[in-house]
Amino acid sequence: MGTSEPPQQRTTSFTRSCSNWRLTAALSAALPPRLMINKTEPNVNKPAPWRAPAGGRRILEEIRRRLRLERGELTLGEQQVFLLLAVIIGLFSGLAVVLFRMTIEYTRLTLFGSGLVITPLRALLAPFAVGLCVAVLVMKVFPRARGSGVNQTKAAVYIYDGFVPFRTVIGKFVTCALAIGSGQSLGPEDPSLQMGAGIASALGRRMRFSRDKVRLIAPVGAAAGLAAAFNAPIAAVLFVIEEVIGKWTAGVLGAIVLSAVSSVVVARWFLGDQALFGIPSYHLVHPAELLAYAALGVIGGVASLVFVKLVGYLRPRLKALPRWTQYFQPALAGLAIGVIGLWLPQIMGAGYQYIDQAMHDQYPWRIILLLGAFKIIATTLSFVSGTPGGMFAPTLFIGAMMGVGVGGIERHFFPWLTGSVGAYALVGMGTLFAGFLRVPMTSVFMVLEVSGNYSIILPVMISNTIAYLISRQYQRTPLFDLLSRQDNVDLPSMEERREEQTLLVEDAMRPFQDPVLSSQDSVTDALSRLEGTPGEFFLVEDGRGKWYGITKDMLRGAVLAWDSDVALGSILREPPLPHVHPDHALDVALSRLDDVPFIPVVHRADLTKLEGVVSLDGILKAYRDTELLAKARRRSE
Amino acid sequence: MQAERRCEQCGQIIPWGEQKCPACGDDERFRWSVSRNELLLLSVLVLIILFSITTFLVKTYRAKERELAQKWYVSGERELNAGHAEAALGDFRSALVYSRNDPLIELHLAHALSAAGHYHEARAYLLGLWASEPGNGTVNLELARLAAGSGSVAEAVQYYHDAIYGQWDANPTDHRRQSRLELAEFLLKVGQKAQAQAELIALAADLPPDPALQTQVATLLLKTGEYEHAAPLFRQALRLRPNYTPALEGAGETSFEMRNYPDARRYLARAKRLGPLSPQSQSLLETATLIQESDPLAPRLSGQERASRARRAFTQGMQRLNECAAAHGVSLDNNQQQSDFQKVHALASALQPKVRERNLTHDPDLLLKATDMAFEIEKVTERACGEPRGMDLALLLLSQVQEGGNE
Repeated sequence: MGTSEPPQQRTTSFTRSCSNWRLTAALSAALPPRLMINKTEPNVNKPAPWRAPAGGRRILEEIRRRLRLERGELTLGEQQVFLLLAVIIGLFSGLAVVLFRMTIEYTRLTLFGSGLVITPLRALLAPFAVGLCVAVLVMKVFPRARGSGVNQTKAAVYIYDGFVPFRTVIGKFVTCALAIGSGQSLGPEDPSLQMGAGIASALGRRMRFSRDKVRLIAPVGAAAGLAAAFNAPIAAVLFVIEEVIGKWTAGVLGAIVLSAVSSVVVARWFLGDQALFGIPSYHLVHPAELLAYAALGVIGGVASLVFVKLVGYLRPRLKALPRWTQYFQPALAGLAIGVIGLWLPQIMGAGYQYIDQAMHDQYPWRIILLLGAFKIIATTLSFVSGTPGGMFAPTLFIGAMMGVGVGGIERHFFPWLTGSVGAYALVGMGTLFAGFLRVPMTSVFMVLEVSGNYSIILPVMISNTIAYLISRQYQRTPLFDLLSRQDNVDLPSMEERREEQTLLVEDAMRPFQDPVLSSQDSVTDALSRLEGTPGEFFLVEDGRGKWYGITKDMLRGAVLAWDSDVALGSILREPPLPHVHPDHALDVALSRLDDVPFIPVVHRADLTKLEGVVSLDGILKAYRDTELLAKARRRSE
Repeated sequence: MQAERRCEQCGQIIPWGEQKCPACGDDERFRWSVSRNELLLLSVLVLIILFSITTFLVKTYRAKERELAQKWYVSGERELNAGHAEAALGDFRSALVYSRNDPLIELHLAHALSAAGHYHEARAYLLGLWASEPGNGTVNLELARLAAGSGSVAEAVQYYHDAIYGQWDANPTDHRRQSRLELAEFLLKVGQKAQAQAELIALAADLPPDPALQTQVATLLLKTGEYEHAAPLFRQALRLRPNYTPALEGAGETSFEMRNYPDARRYLARAKRLGPLSPQSQSLLETATLIQESDPLAPRLSGQERASRARRAFTQGMQRLNECAAAHGVSLDNNQQQSDFQKVHALASALQPKVRERNLTHDPDLLLKATDMAFEIEKVTERACGEPRGMDLALLLLSQVQEGGNE
C-alpha cells in the first residue's frame, strides 16, 4: 500500500459539485480535509497531503466504496434506496389510513348522527343520495376507483408495471369514505390496500427505479395500507404475498415487512393499539369441542360458496346493463340496504361495533342468523352495483355471526363442552376469510394476530382448512380470479401458482447407459472401451467429484498427438461440466445445459456417484408430458 | 433519457426516445424533475407536515369521541336511574362505540343488561371485564350476583370471595363488608348455615359503630342459630341507639333462644312500649311473660305464691294430659299402663289428691314433685301431640331450663 503516483493522478472519490456543495461541506467536516481533492486542480504549491495510517486508509476506502460517493452526491445503491423508500411508503400509508378511517367516521356521524339508532328517513335517504354522488364520481372523475382494490393492485403489478395513478388514491379515499360512511355494506381494508399501492407507485416512479423495482413497489405499499387498516402487520404481509405477488422473494420481502411495520407504527400512534373489536379470552374446554369448530368449518365453507356464487352471478349481469344504469346502481343498492337497515341496522357500514356486540353474546341466535344472511345480501348488493369498497370487513362480520350462531347452538346442547361464544366468533371470522377469500395462511395468522392468543390455533386451523377445502371443491375459481375474468383481465391466479407442480430433474433425467470413464484411464483404453458405442459425447470423472465431457474425436486426436499411454486427465478441457442433483428444479438444469448435449445428475452426498443424465430433449419432454396430464385431468373434471 | 416508460397521467407506454405521451400528449419536459436525494428529503418534509396535520385532526376527532362517549354515558345513567333499563342499554352501547373497550361503560352496560333482565348478555360483558381484571372487586361482585340469581352456588361463592378480597377503587372496606354481607345472606338463602355463620362471625369482628348494620348482622347470626355472637352485637347496637326497635326485638329473641326469659321479656316489653311488635316478637313476649309468671321455682317467691304456681302448673299439666290422650284415643282409666300417657297418668293420679295449696305450702318435697310431674306431663304430651301453646309452652320451656340447670 502506498501512494507512489503523483496526487493529481490519484483517482479520487470526492469532487466538488456546485449543486451539492452543502453535502460536500458536511462531508468535509466529517473527513480530513486533505481527502477532498479536486482532480482537475494540480497539486502544485500545496502542502504535502495528510495521509491516514495504513489501517485507517483501508477503513476509509471501504467506507467510500460502500457509500459510493461520486461527484459530491450521496448515491446509495438502488436496493438501499428501495428499502428506505419502503419505510417512507409505510409512513405515508399509515397516515393515509388514519385519515381515511376518520373521514369514514365523520361521514357516518354527519349522515346518521352519533347514536346507534338510525331514523328511518336517514337510513333510506343517506345511502341512496350518497350512492348517486359516488356513482357520478366514479363514472366521471375517478373511473379506476371502482372495485375493492385487490385486483386493481394485482393488475398494476402484472399489467401496468406497477403503475397506479395517484388520482386513483384520491378517488378511492373520497368515494369509499362516502360509500362506507353512508351505510353501504363494504369495508375500508381493501381500499386501504389500493391506496397504499398508489402512494408507493407514485413515489417509486419519481425515484426512477428500474422497471422491476417499480413493478414491485406497488405490493410494498399494498402491504403497508392493509397492515395499517387491520392493525395486523403479519397478516398484511402474508396476504400480499399469498394473493398479490404469489411468491416469497427475498428481494421484496424485506421491503414489504419494513413498510408494513412502519405503517402499523403510525396507525397505532394515532389510533391506539386496541383491536377493532373486543377479543375474548380463549381456552379449550374439552378436546371434543374441536368437533364444534369442525362443524363451523363446514358451515363456513357453505356460506362462502353461497356468497361467492351470489357475487359471481349478479355482478356480470349488472355490468351488462346499459351504461346509464350504472349511475343509479349504487344508489339503488344503498336504498335496498337502507330498507333492510330499518329492521337490521347492524348490516349497514363495516359493522365493527356489531362484531364486538356479537362477541359479547348480545344477540339471540335467530337474530344472529338473520344478520349473517342479510349481511351477505347487503354486501353483494353493494359490491356488484359498482360501489367502491372492500370485502374484508363484511367477511369478518359474516364469519363472526356464523361463529356466534354455532357457538350458541353448541352451548345450548353441550354446555359443559363450550367456552365463550366470542371465541367461536373469532374463529368464524378466520373461517370465512379462508373460504371466501381463499387465503388460508393469512386467515390463520390474522386470527392469531388479532386475538394475541396462540392457544386458539388448533380450532382456527381445523375450521379454516375445512372451509377452504369445501370452497375449493365446489368453486374452482377463487373470488379474485373470478372478478378479474369477469372484467376480461387475465391476471395470474395465485392459487393455481401455489398448486403448480414444480418439475424436478428427476422427472426429466434418464439413466446413462454408456461407459463412464475415469481420468486415470489411458487414452487407448478409453478409446477401446468406447468402440462400438453409438454415442459421441461421454463422461469422465476425475475421482474428486468433477465431471468432464469428452468425444471420440478428442480421444482419437490425442492418440495421434501424444503417447498412447497418456492419461485422460491430461487432455481434459476446463472448466468441468456443470452438474445437477435429482431434486433440483428443471429450470436450474436448463440454465446449466449451455451447449453440451447433456449434463450429469449426481448424488448430493457423493458427487462421484452418477444418478443419470439430463438433456434438453428430456427437459422439454417432461414439460410436455406434464401439460398433457394436466389437460387430461381438466377434461375429466 | 430513460428506456421505454409509462406516462404519469394515463399510464400508457412512452416509446424510447420520446418525451410526449402518444396517448394523452402529456409532455414530461414540463414536469418538475427532482433527483432521488431531493425527493427523499422532500418526502420527509411532506411527512412531517402530514404528521402535524394528522395529529391535529386526530386530536380534534378524539375530543369529539370523548364528548360523544360522555354524552351517551350520562344519558344512559339518567335512564338507568329513572328505571328505564332498555333505553339505557342503547345509550351505553352508543357510548361504547366512541370509547371502545371502556371498562366503566361496559360495567354500566352490564348493570343495565342485568336490570333489564338480560342476564346472559350481562354476564358476557362481565366475563370480558373479569378476563382483563380478575381482581376487580366490582366485577366480581356483579358476577356473584348474576351467579346467585341463576342458582350457581359454587360459582357465586367463588365470585363473592373474589369480590371480598379483590381491588376496590373507593371505600374498599365498605365494599368488602357489603360483599361479605351479601354472601352471608345468599348462603342462608340456599341453606348453607355453617358457611354463613363463618362469614357472619368474620363480619362481626370488624363492624363500624353503626346500629343498623350491627342489627342486620346480628339478625343474620340469629337466623343461623349463632346466639352467642348475636347477643353482644344487639347489645352494642342498643348502647349506641337504646330505642332502636329492631335491635330490641332481636335482643329479645336472642335472649329467649338462650332461655334468658327475664331479659327477653325486658327487651320485648321495651320494644312494645315504642311501637307495635312483629307477630313473632309478640308471641315471644307473651310466652316469656307466662314463663316468668308461672315458674314455681323462680327465686324470691313467697311460700303461698310458690304453692299456688305449683298447683296451677300441676292442674294445667293434667288438663293437657287428658286432652292429648283424648286426641290419641287413649283411655287413661286402663290399669295396664302400656303407654307413656297411662304411666304418667297413673303417677299424676296418685299425686293429685295431695296437691293442695295448703299441702304444697308446707311440704317442699311435695311442691317439687308436683312441679316435676307437671314438667314431665308437658314433655310426654309434647312428644305425642306436638309443640304446645300458652301456659303449656311456658311449662315445657321451664322444664328445659330445669334440665339445663341440672346438667
